[in-house]
Amino acid sequence: MPTRIVNFFRNLWRRNTVEQALDDELQSSVELLTEGKMKEGFAHSEARRQALIELGGVEQVKEEVRGIRAARLVEDLAKDVRYGLRQLRRNPGFTTVVVLTLTLGIGATTAIFSIVNAVLLRPLPFKDAARLAVLHEAIPKLGYPKMGFSAPDLAIYEREQKSFSDLGAYQDKHVEISGHGEPERMTAARVSASLFPMLGAQPMLGRTFAPDEDATGHPVAILSYRLWQKRYGGSRDALSQTIEVDRQPYTVIGVMPRDFVFPLASADDNGSPADLWIPMAFTPTELQGWGGSYLTSVLGRLRAGVTLGQVRGENEALARRIVASYPGGIADFVRRGQLAIAATPFQEEVVASERTLLLVLMAAVGLVLLIACANVATLLLSRAAARERELSVRAALGASRLRLLRQMLTESLLLALGGGVLGFLFAVWGRNVLLAMVPLSVPLPGRVPLSGGVLGFAAGASLLCGIALGLVPAFRAPLASVSGALQESGRGATTSRAHHRLQGFFVTAEFALAFVLLVGAGLLMRSFLKLLETNPGFRPDHVLTMNVPLPAIAYVHASEVENFYMQLLDKASSLPGVESAALSNDLPLREIVGVSYIPEGQANGAGETPEAVGQTWVLGNYFQTMGVPLLQGRWFTPEDRPGSERVAIVNLSAARKFWPGRNALDKRLRWGGGPWQVVVGVVGNVNEGGLDTAPAPHVYRPYLQADNPFLEQDPFGDMRALNLALRTHEDPASLITAAVAQVHSLDPDVAVTRIRTMTQVLSSTVAGPEFNTWLLGTFAGVALLLAAIGIYGVLAYSVAQQIHEIGIRMALGAEKRDVLTLVVGRGFKLTLMGVAIGIAGSFAVTRFLSSLLYGVKPTDPFTFFAGTLVLAGVSLLATYIPTRRATKVDPMVALRYE
Amino acid sequence: MAEKRTDLLRGTLDLLVLKALCLEPLHGVGISRRITQITQGAFQVSFGSLFPSLHRMEEKGWVEAEWRTSENNRRAKYYRLTSAGRAQLKIEQREWNQVVKIMTAAVESA
Repeated sequence: MPTRIVNFFRNLWRRNTVEQALDDELQSSVELLTEGKMKEGFAHSEARRQALIELGGVEQVKEEVRGIRAARLVEDLAKDVRYGLRQLRRNPGFTTVVVLTLTLGIGATTAIFSIVNAVLLRPLPFKDAARLAVLHEAIPKLGYPKMGFSAPDLAIYEREQKSFSDLGAYQDKHVEISGHGEPERMTAARVSASLFPMLGAQPMLGRTFAPDEDATGHPVAILSYRLWQKRYGGSRDALSQTIEVDRQPYTVIGVMPRDFVFPLASADDNGSPADLWIPMAFTPTELQGWGGSYLTSVLGRLRAGVTLGQVRGENEALARRIVASYPGGIADFVRRGQLAIAATPFQEEVVASERTLLLVLMAAVGLVLLIACANVATLLLSRAAARERELSVRAALGASRLRLLRQMLTESLLLALGGGVLGFLFAVWGRNVLLAMVPLSVPLPGRVPLSGGVLGFAAGASLLCGIALGLVPAFRAPLASVSGALQESGRGATTSRAHHRLQGFFVTAEFALAFVLLVGAGLLMRSFLKLLETNPGFRPDHVLTMNVPLPAIAYVHASEVENFYMQLLDKASSLPGVESAALSNDLPLREIVGVSYIPEGQANGAGETPEAVGQTWVLGNYFQTMGVPLLQGRWFTPEDRPGSERVAIVNLSAARKFWPGRNALDKRLRWGGGPWQVVVGVVGNVNEGGLDTAPAPHVYRPYLQADNPFLEQDPFGDMRALNLALRTHEDPASLITAAVAQVHSLDPDVAVTRIRTMTQVLSSTVAGPEFNTWLLGTFAGVALLLAAIGIYGVLAYSVAQQIHEIGIRMALGAEKRDVLTLVVGRGFKLTLMGVAIGIAGSFAVTRFLSSLLYGVKPTDPFTFFAGTLVLAGVSLLATYIPTRRATKVDPMVALRYE
Repeated sequence: MAEKRTDLLRGTLDLLVLKALCLEPLHGVGISRRITQITQGAFQVSFGSLFPSLHRMEEKGWVEAEWRTSENNRRAKYYRLTSAGRAQLKIEQREWNQVVKIMTAAVESA
C-alpha cells in the first residue's frame, strides 16, 4: 500500500527527469541525422550543421514539447475538476453532508484560532514587547503574594536598578469627566511620562507627556480614541481644550490611536483599559506611604543582553535596600514578612490567567475538527466502495492508478475547499458571537483582526483535510485488482474486510474523541452547577446597588463627605419600597485591597504578626441590607460614631484566624500601627472576588469612625466613592429612578455609576465559568452529533450491503431477534471500543482542566459514568433506523435484489 | 528538399505517425524518414511538430517510449504503439476514409 503513495509523489517530482530525457532524445536525434548526412557525403562539421537546420533548433523543439506537457497538466486538472464537480452534483445529499460537516469543523476551529491567535500567539501590540517585563512587590509572609509598587519604593527602585533601560508606571483612577457634555464616570490611568515612549505608543494627534509634566503634576490629559469621538466628535479642535477631570480643568494635549489599549484588560489590579490618561505625579503623601499602598503597576524594558534571571539577583538586593529605607516599626513588619521584588515577562503576565482556558478551547475545537474529518472519511469510504465499479471500469479503459488517485484527490480537495470557504464565513460570524461573549478578563487587544494568519490557518486546515481525505480511499487499495473488483461488484455481495475494518476504525475514533469532549464539558458543567449552589454568604435577591462618587475638589473635608452620605442614607431609607439601606466602600463578590490587621497580645510571644484582611467601611444597616447573618454580638448602631469607642465586626474566618478556639467578642485588634478597636460582632463569611474563592478574613468598620486624614487622602480611592445598597420589597430595578433622583436632589452633578442588582453582580462573577461551560458544551454537542451521524452512516451502509445476506438468513429461518443482534451488535461493539479508548484518553487529558474546575475532580466518576451513558444512548438512537430497516427485510425482495 | 515540404492537414500528423509505428518501433528520426518514405517524399515532417506530437501521444497512452541501442550502436529513444494506440489508429483510419469520401464527393459533385 505505501508503495503506491511513494509512486504518486515520485510522479509529482519527476519533472526534472522528463526534461533530462527530452534533452537526451534531441541530442541522439541530432547525432542520428548527422550520421545520415555524413553517409550522403558531407564532412562531419557540415553534416552536423545541416542536421541542426533540419531539426529546426533544439530549444524551439523543446519549448514546443514543454508546451504540450504543460497544457496537458492544466487540461487534466480542468477535466478532473469538471468531472469531480459533476460527481458531487450527482450526489447532492452526500456533498451537502460532507461540506457542512467540514464547514462546522473548519469554521469552529478557525473562529477559536482567531481569538487564540490574537491573545496568545501575537506579540503584545507594543514596541519590542518581548523585552517588556512586569515588576511586582510581594510580602508573602503577610499574605500578599503579588502587589504593585508603593510610591517611595518605586522611587528607590528607579534610582538604583541597572537591569532596565526604561521603567514605566501606571495606576487606575476612576474619575468623573465633565465640561463639554454630561458628567460621566470613566476609567482614567495615571501614567508616568516614561510609559508611552517605552511602549513605543505614538499619539495620533498632539503629543504624550513630558517628564516635567509628570514630576510636577501638570493638569494635562491624553484622550483615548473612543473618548475623543464621544465627547469631541473626533474634532481636531479637541487639542488644547479643557476637560474637567474630577471637576479640575485638564488641558487635552493628545489623542491616542483607535487600536491603542492600555492598561490591557485583566482581572488584576490596574487591569481596566483607560478612557484617558493623566500624569502619574505622585503626591507627597503617596511618596511617604512606606509599607502601604502597593498599588502602582510597573513595567520595565530589559537592557540588551540582560536576562530575567540576572534581574533576580538585583531585585533581591534592592528589596533589602528598600526595606532598610522604611521608618522603624514598619520596617520590622515588612522585613519579617519578607518583602520581595519579582519580574515576569509582560506577555506571560497578561495571558497567564486565560492561557489554560484558551488552550483547552483550542484543543477541544481541534478534536471537533478531527471528528468531522473522521466522519467525512467514513462517508468517503462508503462512497468509494459504491464507486468501485466505476473506478474499475475507468481503470480497465486505461486510466492509470495515478490518474484515478488524482481524481479522488481532486474531489476531496473540492469538498474541503467548499468546507473551507464556508467555514471561513462561518468563522467570521462565529468569531463575532464569541467576542461578544468572551468574559472581560480575557486580555483582548483593541481589535481581533481576521489576519493573514487566520486565513492561512483556515486554508491550511482545509488543504490538510482535503489531502488526508483523498488519500483515505487510496489506503483502502481500491484499484488493487481491477478484474477482482469487477467480478465482486457483479455479485454485489460483500465488501472487503479491510473496508469494514477501516470504517470501524474511524467510527471508534470518533466515539473516543467525542467521549473526551463530553467528559470535559461534563466536568465544566458539574463545576458550574457546584458554583451556582455555593452559598455566597449573603442574600443577593431584592438588592439594588449603585456607586455614588464625590469629586475630591468639591468635597474636600471629611465632614462634607460624611454629611453628604448621611443625608443620602436618610433619604434612601425613607424611599417607599425600601426595607433597609446602607452605604459601603465595597460590595460582596468584589476583590478588594488587603490591609494588615494585628490582633492584641498574641500568646506565642513572637510579637504581633499582621495578617492580610479585607476591610469594609459601612454606614447604615449594611448586614441587614445584604442579608449577612450575625453569628455573635451585635450590629453597628448609630451610636458607633466618632468619639465613641472604636468598634469592629469581624467575619467568621477572621475570628478563627486571629483567635483560634476562643471567643472573638470584646477582643481588640488594630490596622497596622493605628488605634485599637473592640470586636462587637461576628458575622458569616461573604465571598470576595468570586464564588470559587475560599472565604478570606474580613473586618468591617463604621464609616463614621474612619480617621479624617485617611478619608480625605483616600489612598485606595474608594472612601469618596461609596456604594448605596437598598434592600427592596419589590423588584429592585423599579427603584433605580427614585434612588438616583435622591442622589441628584443632594448634588445634581454627581455621576451615579454601576447601577446593578446584586443578582446581576452574582451572575457576572460566574460569566467566565458559564462561558467555558457553554462553549465546551457546544463542542461536545457537535461532536456527539457528528459521531451519531458517523455510526448511523456506517451501519446504514453495511445494512444496505448485507441485505442479500440478511435475506438469505431470514429465508433460512432466522428470527428478527437474530438480525437485530447482528446490526446492533456491530454498532455496540464500535461504541464500546470508542468509549473504552475515550475513558483512557480522558483520564490522560482531563487533568489539564483542573485549574478551570471547582469542587469536581478531573476524574470525577459520576461524569465519566454519565458520559458513557450519553454516548451509549446516542449510539443506540443512531442505530435504530438501520436496525429497523434490517428487520423489515423481505427475504423475497432481498434475494431478487440483483 | 525544402520545396517538397507540404503543409499537413490538421490532424493527419497523428495518423501518419501511428501508421509509421504500425510495423515496428522507431526513434524520432526514424519516424520522420518512414513518413517521407511512405508518402513517397511528399511530406517532410518538421521535428518541431513531430516531437510534440509524439509526447502528446505518449501522454495519451497511444505510444510507449523506451531507450534502446540503434542499428549503428547509438542510444536512441524508440517509440512503440500500445494497444490503445492500435485502437486509435483504426479509429483515425476510419475517420480519414470518411473525410476522403465526403471530400471527394463534395469536390466532384459539381
